[in-house]
Amino acid sequence: MVESVLQNLTYFVPETALVVTFCAVLLADVIFKGRPRIPWTIGLLGLIVAGVTAFQQTGLNRPVFDLMIVVDPFAVFFKVIVAATAILIYLMSLWSDEVKASARRMGEYAALLVSATLGMFLMAGATNLLMIVLALELTGLSSYVLSGYTKEASDSSEASLKYILFGAVSTGIMLYGISLLYGLTGATDLIGIRLALEGQAMTHTPMLLISSIMILAGFGYKISAVPFHFWTPDVYEGAPITVTAFLSVASKAAGFALMIRFLVSTATPSLGVDVMAVVQTFEWPKLIAIMSVLTMTLGNIVAIWQNNLKRLLAYSSIAHAGTMLMAVTVFSQNGVAAVLIYFVVYLFMNLGAFYLVMLVAGATGSEDIDSYKGLGHRAPLVGVSLVIFLISLTGLPPTAGFIGKLYVFSALLDAQWIWLAIVGALNSVISLYYYVRVIRNMYLRDPDSAPAPVVLTGAQTVLLMVFLVPTLVLGVYFAPLVDWAHASVALFGIR
Amino acid sequence: MTLEQLMFYGLGAVGIGSGLLVVTRRNPVMSALSLVLNFFCLAGLYLTLNAQFIAVIQIIVYAGAIMVLFLFVIMLLNLRDERALSDRLSARKIIGAGLAFGLLLQVLYILMSAADGFPQKDEALAVSTGTVEVIGVQLFTTFLFPFEITSLLLTAAIVGAVLLAKKKLD
Repeated sequence: MVESVLQNLTYFVPETALVVTFCAVLLADVIFKGRPRIPWTIGLLGLIVAGVTAFQQTGLNRPVFDLMIVVDPFAVFFKVIVAATAILIYLMSLWSDEVKASARRMGEYAALLVSATLGMFLMAGATNLLMIVLALELTGLSSYVLSGYTKEASDSSEASLKYILFGAVSTGIMLYGISLLYGLTGATDLIGIRLALEGQAMTHTPMLLISSIMILAGFGYKISAVPFHFWTPDVYEGAPITVTAFLSVASKAAGFALMIRFLVSTATPSLGVDVMAVVQTFEWPKLIAIMSVLTMTLGNIVAIWQNNLKRLLAYSSIAHAGTMLMAVTVFSQNGVAAVLIYFVVYLFMNLGAFYLVMLVAGATGSEDIDSYKGLGHRAPLVGVSLVIFLISLTGLPPTAGFIGKLYVFSALLDAQWIWLAIVGALNSVISLYYYVRVIRNMYLRDPDSAPAPVVLTGAQTVLLMVFLVPTLVLGVYFAPLVDWAHASVALFGIR
Repeated sequence: MTLEQLMFYGLGAVGIGSGLLVVTRRNPVMSALSLVLNFFCLAGLYLTLNAQFIAVIQIIVYAGAIMVLFLFVIMLLNLRDERALSDRLSARKIIGAGLAFGLLLQVLYILMSAADGFPQKDEALAVSTGTVEVIGVQLFTTFLFPFEITSLLLTAAIVGAVLLAKKKLD
């Protein structure tokens, strides 16, 4: 027993690092009272260690702890994305006025960022319904509190409360679905569920359908897909901007990882296995296709009316989740790989956009699109960078966003989902409208009054380059990323 | 009628009766106390199925901790105008009734689909899975990992609760 636990622990290094960091940050916060920099630094080091050790797991493929979680290339890919996001958010927080305003609580902020990251690491690898729920809750609880971090601001408290209520309801629905699924199959690990379903094809189909839809609702909430998106705009607007950026990338990545793994391991025909009864009787791809169309269209159309750039980015992130869902629809290796590629691209361009909104809000005190009038002339570097991020979010060449969309659409066309690809392309056109509105304000409009200057320090510029350079480089040199993504999904053995 | 059947019908009747009291009483404190009684009846039913652990947990967690919290909140809120409240929320009432009806249909469906014979109660199996000892062993061997993750979950929850509940410090 002890030997097997110790042996399993050697495959659990990144998560162990996060657990130790979490406890160390909490303790350091109490011991070094009034010096929040110390727990903060410990948290940063812990995240870097976790990210590096997660990356070193590349190529491993084995179940750990009695099939509770697995370490496989797919999980490692998402762990690296989550760790990278967490580290970048951590650095962004250095210049966030919202975080600094409650500097005494910075230790807890660091601890909760670490525990949220841990939850997402577990989500990426969870192969057991029990672990799926625990990982979702660990992530959820940490995110609820993080979004209410600046609780003196009433919209932050409101965001936190809404998030908790929606989260509790969706967890309840999902747990109900899970309990039904367990009752039908008698297994909690995904492989066992699949075997049980293949064995007893067709019986209990209505019940299976209900339970699957309930579980999908839980995932849909996490990736804020329509119609489970209601919490997203308010939470994203009310939460501190660093937390918003974290949720919009890392939380979604972990949610997608979980959803893809669940669907692929329980309901997707793989090489050598007959198409399962569930897939025949119920058309999952169609359901997910409809979800993706609704998500994209709603996100994009509502984004047009937004005057607050943070809220606009919130709706745009809903739309991006829809784009990625399109690729999930295909249920093929190309499709899943396209999601992975999109996430890496999305990480840099979305975090970059949020970072600039944060810096501009710090200088001008406003997130309104009107306050961006003339910004391109006042602060050339900020203006040009924001243009690049927005163009990349639209998906135009030569930026990385184009590569992300290119692989999504080529996966769709390979699988003959022509109508879906057309809807997706139309949505990109809609998104161009509201992204360009910001650009127009920056370059073609003059400010009403003398605005505050936006000046970047050296360190801020370096961090900006961390976002900007990959957004440009991945637009022209993307072969390694594509290879990595394909290698990460090869294990599923789907066509 | 065996003693076991007597227990089942007795506990079932009291359980349903107290369940009705929960939704019909105007006084929220009365409703909450009826719910406690209902939980005790459920715990008794679990005991007749040899599920000792769940019976104990039912009483400690639900009847004990959660219901005390419930009562506490009800008394703190001092709900005086619940009469007006019950008249206003008709839309929510309909949705609630709809959900309850859906649950009833689901239970009936399961009962109907199993009409060709319920699995007989397996005394030995029930004893070997329902006791505290068996569950404890499982918890610290097969489910050791989720168990440990739960402790982290609770730590994060406590930190979060403190962070949200703390009065403005700075």
